[in-house]
Amino acid sequence: MVRDLLYRFRALFHRNVVESELDEELRFHFDEQVEKYVRSGLSRKEAVRRSRMEFGGAESIKEDCREARGVMFIDTALQDVRYAIRGFRRTPGFALTVVATIALGLGLNTPVFTIFNAYVLRPLSVRDPYSLYLFTWQKRDGGGHLFTWREFQDFEKQNPAFSEVIGRDPVPFVRVEGHTLFGDLVTGNYFRMLGINAAIGRTLLAADVSGPGSAPVVVISYSAWKDKFAGDPNIIGKKLAIRGYQLEVVGVAREGFHGLGEVPREFWAPLTMAPQLEEGPNLFGVEQPQRLRIVGRLRRGLDQRHAATALTIWARQRTADRTDTERATAAVLHSEATTIAMDPLVVAGLTPVFAAFGLVLLIACANVANMLLARAMARQREIGIRLAIGAARARLVRQLLTESVLLALPAAVAGFAVSKATIDLGERLMFATLPRGFTEYVTLLPLQPDLRVLGFMLFAAVLSALLFGLAPAIQATRSNVMQAARGEFTTDFRPARLRNALVVGQVAVSVLLLICAMALLRASNRIEHFDVGLKTRGVVAMDIVDKFRAKVVQQLASEPSVRSVASASKLPFVGSLPWMPVTPDSSSERSWAGYIYVSPEYFSVFELPIVRGRKFTAEEAQGGEPVVVISQATARLFWPRGDALGRSLRIEQDPQQPRSLAENLRIGIPPQRVVRVIGIARDAVNGYVGYGIDQTCVFFPGRADAAGYVLLVRVKRDAEVALGTLDKAITASMPGAVDEIHPIDEALTGQLYPYRAAYWVSSAIGCIALLLTLSGIYGILSYLVTQRTKEIGIRVALGASSGSVVRLVLKQSLKLAGIGAAVGATAALGVSRILASQLDVFVFEKVDQLAYGMGIVLVIAASASATYVPCVRAARIEPVTTLRCDLDSRET
Amino acid sequence: MANERIDLPQGTLDLLILRTLALEPQHGWGISERIQQISSNVLQVQQGSLYPALHRLERRGWIKARWGMSENSRRAKYYNLTRGGRKQLDSEAGAWRKLSAAVAQVLDMA
Repeated sequence: MVRDLLYRFRALFHRNVVESELDEELRFHFDEQVEKYVRSGLSRKEAVRRSRMEFGGAESIKEDCREARGVMFIDTALQDVRYAIRGFRRTPGFALTVVATIALGLGLNTPVFTIFNAYVLRPLSVRDPYSLYLFTWQKRDGGGHLFTWREFQDFEKQNPAFSEVIGRDPVPFVRVEGHTLFGDLVTGNYFRMLGINAAIGRTLLAADVSGPGSAPVVVISYSAWKDKFAGDPNIIGKKLAIRGYQLEVVGVAREGFHGLGEVPREFWAPLTMAPQLEEGPNLFGVEQPQRLRIVGRLRRGLDQRHAATALTIWARQRTADRTDTERATAAVLHSEATTIAMDPLVVAGLTPVFAAFGLVLLIACANVANMLLARAMARQREIGIRLAIGAARARLVRQLLTESVLLALPAAVAGFAVSKATIDLGERLMFATLPRGFTEYVTLLPLQPDLRVLGFMLFAAVLSALLFGLAPAIQATRSNVMQAARGEFTTDFRPARLRNALVVGQVAVSVLLLICAMALLRASNRIEHFDVGLKTRGVVAMDIVDKFRAKVVQQLASEPSVRSVASASKLPFVGSLPWMPVTPDSSSERSWAGYIYVSPEYFSVFELPIVRGRKFTAEEAQGGEPVVVISQATARLFWPRGDALGRSLRIEQDPQQPRSLAENLRIGIPPQRVVRVIGIARDAVNGYVGYGIDQTCVFFPGRADAAGYVLLVRVKRDAEVALGTLDKAITASMPGAVDEIHPIDEALTGQLYPYRAAYWVSSAIGCIALLLTLSGIYGILSYLVTQRTKEIGIRVALGASSGSVVRLVLKQSLKLAGIGAAVGATAALGVSRILASQLDVFVFEKVDQLAYGMGIVLVIAASASATYVPCVRAARIEPVTTLRCDLDSRET
Repeated sequence: MANERIDLPQGTLDLLILRTLALEPQHGWGISERIQQISSNVLQVQQGSLYPALHRLERRGWIKARWGMSENSRRAKYYNLTRGGRKQLDSEAGAWRKLSAAVAQVLDMA
């Protein structure tokens, strides 16, 4: 093997030595043969003649020897490369256009892959990430399980599959010194098991997590230290007020560690601080709330399937004595090797995105394929001659493919630059367009390219080279040697169908992308101009830490800038209303209704009018009386005839256990009883803004200072300004009391943001696709006109007007555009159905006629305009000159 | 004489070259002469197949080339058998004998 390689290397790099040796060897043979004939009595002249005849072509022997040496492949490849580069130098414009087109296609696709890579493919920078698994068990209803402290302790001792486990408990956003932070409460072995050390200071140690409330310390992430604490060199020892507790910063975790879970974590505090830092029942108390996530390192030699089996047995035994719905059915292991584990759901969600960007690359390839076809046509004479003098077809195809690859490689390099610029621009645009208060919440994983991204680029470049190069290469070398020798090249060469198919495909893709972009734009515009029925201007929403709640409500009441304060069990617009089963007294059938708990001031803060009856009194709110206000739509639904006011509604027991206990505890399931309707409020959006006006909404009376409720403050001045003063005033007396504070308008725009972003992205790629298509149509038509110059010349000579000539060209292009548009629109029907089900917003129409109309008209108009130059050229054809020079004109 | 010559079956040239070189190191012309002589002019090796075969055998490491002096004092490229070449010759010669004996048996069938 090694010897073989050495031999080939010598043959390759000492080519001259090897060649001259071969020469000498063959000459020796020849001379010996001559000597032999001379010895047998022939004259020297005759001997030479005979030897030469026997010997045949010395060159072909040498060629065979080279082949035998095994360097032919490299040799010819080098030849092809040199030949191709010479060709590109002759037509630099062509080469540049191809490189730019492919670079654009690659440059748009690589950012998508980079993001995918960062979240789904790149392993976490922890020790041996592939042995880490999140463990949960499934219950009968298919839901997962969060663990109680007691369950975790048992699991730690008894688990049959992991060599070590950690428990973590995410803390929702907290505000520290005006910055929003997201973190985890973790067990003492967290950093040791993951193999994470500190950049400065230390990480959490087992001693920090020895008992409830043991150590008020915190470790922050490297990026939080840099971005949110400005890289403060004196950060160690600093006290941070988190939810009103002073936690000392003991360390900064090493760079590149963002914790476990999809959202990058910014701090880690001991799990034993849970009673202080968390709302709701005490993790270590008698109630034993289900909160912990368990991540473990699989025992060496144990695979995921076996581990899951062992864990299923354990989980079933552990829950055997529980009620039916709480019993475990199966253990589930999710890989924690990457930020997001690759599963069918992730793939399904990402496929449309990949498809959209991939289509742009396809269009770019189609364009280049078209250009190469035209070029191949022009090179028919050269190729025909080469075939005629004995070039093998495979060799010619290989040479043409070498050209394609040579064009694709610089395109990959340029595409890399384009992709870097796109990522930078994309990130900057995103942070610039996000509602101001939301930028703190959005933390991205670093998106540097790595080896996987480079590999992807190379792979995509070579793949596109094959895509755009193979068809032209095969087409071009198909010509018949005899015809080529006679100078007839076009009879057997019919790439028209392929070229037309490429253009139809391009038009279809542009139409598809533009229709989707348009539909998204109209959906997001509709949401934006949609009347939510609540007056949101000048309302500030606040999440308050429960232990400060009463004091904050008191302080707000005395703030001069505050007009009124309400509270609600959920923030309007964000998240849908919870549902409960009810039976109105008008029927015996049970139906479902959405509900929300609000304080009496809710209606005045949002200026939501009570159209009939009255709102709650302060006493009703305080005592939780069995009275409700319902929305107009609810009244119409339950009491279609007659007045709903004064009627009653029976709240039923939910037959299914509530999905999430935490949610349950926070907002409270309405008790089973009969309630009386005392008022009817105007229709509005209290649920998720994407679902539009609530189809049903029942308002229960709630206390202004109820735990877990969001505070809604109507201020006298601009919400943005008032927000600053309120935040400062509250934080001054109660540091860490405010978890979140936003103008509610911002929460609304935040909900719309994904649609806006989707619209921008899809229209950007739609426009790029359209531009590429136009250049494609332009290319094919001007080629067509050149090709048909002779025919057009004859037509003109026979008396055709220039108008009819233009019509001829235009007809060709519009036919292609028409077919393409029809295909694209049909595809859009399918795609928008998928989009509608993914987006799940009422404003997104499955068949948005205007979007379809605009998309199709735009693309067809653009296609027609792309034909302008070729049309003019066709109209200017002089019959005399074209008839005179028939062949040459075809090759220009 | 001409009609007594037969074409070499695929792969046998390698075997003949190896066998010839097993006697002593030889240059290309010498190899073709030797094969012709020993086979009583039945087998004639064309240069067009001899040299590519030599280069192929050299690449496989069965023969090695070095420059030496010919009988009439000219520089010539001599090939000699390597250890691997000898092994290859043994196994191929065995296989060939088996094959030809079997073919002969079939052909001589009464």
